[in-house]
This record gives sequence, C-alpha cells and structure tokens, in this order.
Amino acid sequence: MSSKSPVIVMEAPEKLNHSEAQAFLAELQPLLQSDRPRVVLDCSQVQHMDSAGIEMLLSCMAEAMKRDGDIKLASLSPASAAILELMRVDRLFEVFDTAEEATRSFQAVASPDVSQSLPWYSAGYGLADLKSAS
Amino acid sequence: MGLGAIVVMGEAQDGERAGVFPGDASVLSQPFACFDVLGRSTAQRIIERFVRADVDVVTVLQTAVRQDMKAPFTAFENVEFRVMRDAGEGVLQKLRHYSRNGIEHSFLILGNVYAETDLLDFYYFHREARQAATRAVDREGVLDLWVLDCEKAQTQAIDLQHLREAKSSDSSYFIREYVNRLSDPRDLRRFASDLLRGRCATRPPGREVKRGIWIDDGAEVHRRARIVAPAYIGRGSKVMEDTLVTRLSNVEKDCCVNYGTVIEDSSILQNTDIGICLDVCHAVANGNKLLKLDRNVVIEITDPSVMRSNGDTWKQGKDRKWGRNLLPFRRKHERQPTTDLQPATSAPKQRGLQAANLLQG
Repeated sequence: MSSKSPVIVMEAPEKLNHSEAQAFLAELQPLLQSDRPRVVLDCSQVQHMDSAGIEMLLSCMAEAMKRDGDIKLASLSPASAAILELMRVDRLFEVFDTAEEATRSFQAVASPDVSQSLPWYSAGYGLADLKSAS
Repeated sequence: MGLGAIVVMGEAQDGERAGVFPGDASVLSQPFACFDVLGRSTAQRIIERFVRADVDVVTVLQTAVRQDMKAPFTAFENVEFRVMRDAGEGVLQKLRHYSRNGIEHSFLILGNVYAETDLLDFYYFHREARQAATRAVDREGVLDLWVLDCEKAQTQAIDLQHLREAKSSDSSYFIREYVNRLSDPRDLRRFASDLLRGRCATRPPGREVKRGIWIDDGAEVHRRARIVAPAYIGRGSKVMEDTLVTRLSNVEKDCCVNYGTVIEDSSILQNTDIGICLDVCHAVANGNKLLKLDRNVVIEITDPSVMRSNGDTWKQGKDRKWGRNLLPFRRKHERQPTTDLQPATSAPKQRGLQAANLLQG
C-alpha cells in the first residue's frame, strides 16, 4: 500500500547563503516530514549560492530520502549549475529545465510499491539471478 | 638599417572580451597576454620572438596602468615599457622616434596575437612589397600584426585605427604556422592545450618527468596525486594527495590544488588556490573566479575555502602552507609527506597502489 503525497513546488530564494538557507530550510522542513515527500525546488530566482546553500540542499535530500521521497531541481541558472558541478553535487540531483517538467517526472514514475522492507536486489532481480550472473 | 617592434597591450583586448561571459567582464584582471600559460606569458613569448629575430629595440605600449604589468618585461634587454593613454598616439610617437633614430622598419603587434611565424621572412616580404604597411593574415583572416615602414607610415598618416580597419590584400603576408588570437578566455585555454599537445613550436618549461608531464622548479606533487599526461604543474605549485590533474590541464605557478580535487580540461591561472574535493572541469580558474567554458558563465566564489587568490600571501611567504586559515581538517593532510616529484625512473615505495606515484604517461 503506497500513500502518494502531492508534488510540492517550492521557489528557492534569490540568495542561498547561510541565513537565507536556514530560513528556507525551516520553511521546507514540515513538507519533508510527510511520508514520501516529493519536492521540486524551482531555482529560477537563485542569483547567489554558497556552500551553506549547497549544504541545505544536501540535508533536504537526505531528509527526503529517509522518508522514501525525493527532491528535484528545476530552472537552474548556468551559474548555479556550475557551482553544483564544482562542488560535485550536480550528480546527486535530477535537474530539469522547468518546474513543470520536474513535476511531470514525479508523476510519470508509477511508483512501484517496493517498500524499504524488501532487500534492494529484489526490485529488479531475484537473488538467484544475481547468483547465476556471478 | 635598424628594425624595431612595438607591442600594444590593453584596452583593445579588454573591449573585445567584454560580454563574452555574462556576469563579470573583468574576470581576468589583466590582458590575456599577461597571464602565464605554461610558465610564461604570451607577451613574454612575443617579445622573446622579437629578441631572437635580432630586433634592435622593442617597445611595450600599455594603455592602462595595471599592477605588475611591467615586471615580466624587465628581464629583457632593449625592451622599453611605456604607459600611454591612447595607443594610436603612442604608436605614432614611437614610429617617429624610431625613424629619427635610424630604425627604418618596425613590427607592430597587438598583444592579443600569438603567431609563430618567421619574423625575418615577414620583414623581407614587406621590404620587397615596398609599401608603408604589410599586414599578416592566416587562414581565418587578418591578424593584428604588421611590419611598418616608419617613414612612410608617418607621411601617409597611417594610424592604428586605420591599420585595424584595413582588409587583407594581395600584399598581405600569409602565416601558415601556429596562430592564436587570444580574444576570448577559450583561446587562453586552447593555447595551453595546444602547447601541451605539441602543436606549437615552443615547449613547456620544467622537467618532463614522464612523457607529456612537465613539472616546473619547486613544484610539489604528492605521491598519491595522479597526473595524467599531457599536463603541466607550474613553479612552486602544490598538488596535494588524492587529486587528479587530467586532460590537458595546466596548473600555473604558485597554485595549490587541495585534497581530493579533480582538475580536468582546465587551466588554473597563477596564484590560485583550489579547495578540497572539487570538480574543476572545462574551466579557467583565476583567484576566486571560475570561467566555465562549457556553460559560458563566470562564477565568483565568495567562500575562500573553495577558491581564492593567494597573490599577496604567497609573495609574503607567510601562508605558504595552504589551508592554514581554512578548514581545520586540512592541516591534518598538510602534515602528510609531500615530496618533490622524483623522476619517473625512481621506484615508488612498495606500499601498493595507494602509495605509488600515480603519474601516468
């Protein structure tokens, strides 16, 4: 039985520095507490991002993953994308051109009801398959 | 019969590069020609070529005063450095001065052009053409390099503006050798990769410790750093443990690449410190500014633990050990033994792959 939470689109602030990131995280926290949080961060307004902002993104991602959810990024400016790449964070997030695309990507995936109680290898392969492959 | 040369550096190049990268036009604090690329600036290379061609006197005309602009040229004899407000006026004055002092012909080059042509052949071509000015061209078009007849240039009132606007003609001198226009940060990057690939006549300085890997004097490369050829590590630079320098990258003098960072297809310009565990790919890094060539964007890093310029501290020698003011755990890594790189023939310590010097040819 899966409980599908709605996809929430949040607009990230213009500055993702220490103080702004803290405030934004406080705002985001209740949403991340829900079951399987599905959040799209619209970064179109982001002009400035520093390591505190990136740390905030990572803690959001960790929080969402704990509850079997995900965070996706949308409308990243080239500068923000470059910073994420420099800090090796870009590959941790799915990045979309627009918030709509990111939202659609959540909906397109018909969530297979694979709960965390199942071992990871049972999602696609049986244990026997793995053994035979090796 | 004397031969002179005038090298103009400054505003023309600045204007051309503005707007190439949105965000900050002043990302490079000085003209491209003044940045070291594999140990020497393009301006130095240009002047060396003139000196080698037995040019009697070289004048460097700088149109805007910038710090340390004169320093690279003081090593040369017969090289005069002048700061002028108007480059055109400066060129005319210089031609007049040359003419009065028995110098009949002069090269004129704008500092943004690097051309590996036979300068004497160019001069003889010009003399036979019997014209006031002969412009160099290559397969991409006209270049900001001329030979001028000092006397005729004055009588015909040829000025810099006029010269630049003129198109190529039959009497232009065609250059088949390597040319780089240095009009864009990409050209700076291309110049470094061309030098490393051996597409230019000049070779990188320093010791070639392994085929395609040049390490300049005083550079320190940790035995657990991996350098993939071709690559260049500049004078006095430090490459810390678990770093990777690969795909035609160059780390210029007095830089520090810190623990776990990857430098790929990038140029780290002089006096730049790069922090821990970063990916610097397809970029030119200068102090706290990063030009991402693939994304066409300049980013300014405000956090000094990520990227910073070490220009002042390095000169003073106070902060030679990088990271003293930065993240505290860096100190731990600094205590790890960093060794002056040994020639490739020296055997790595037998502690398995981790301890080997992973320089790869």
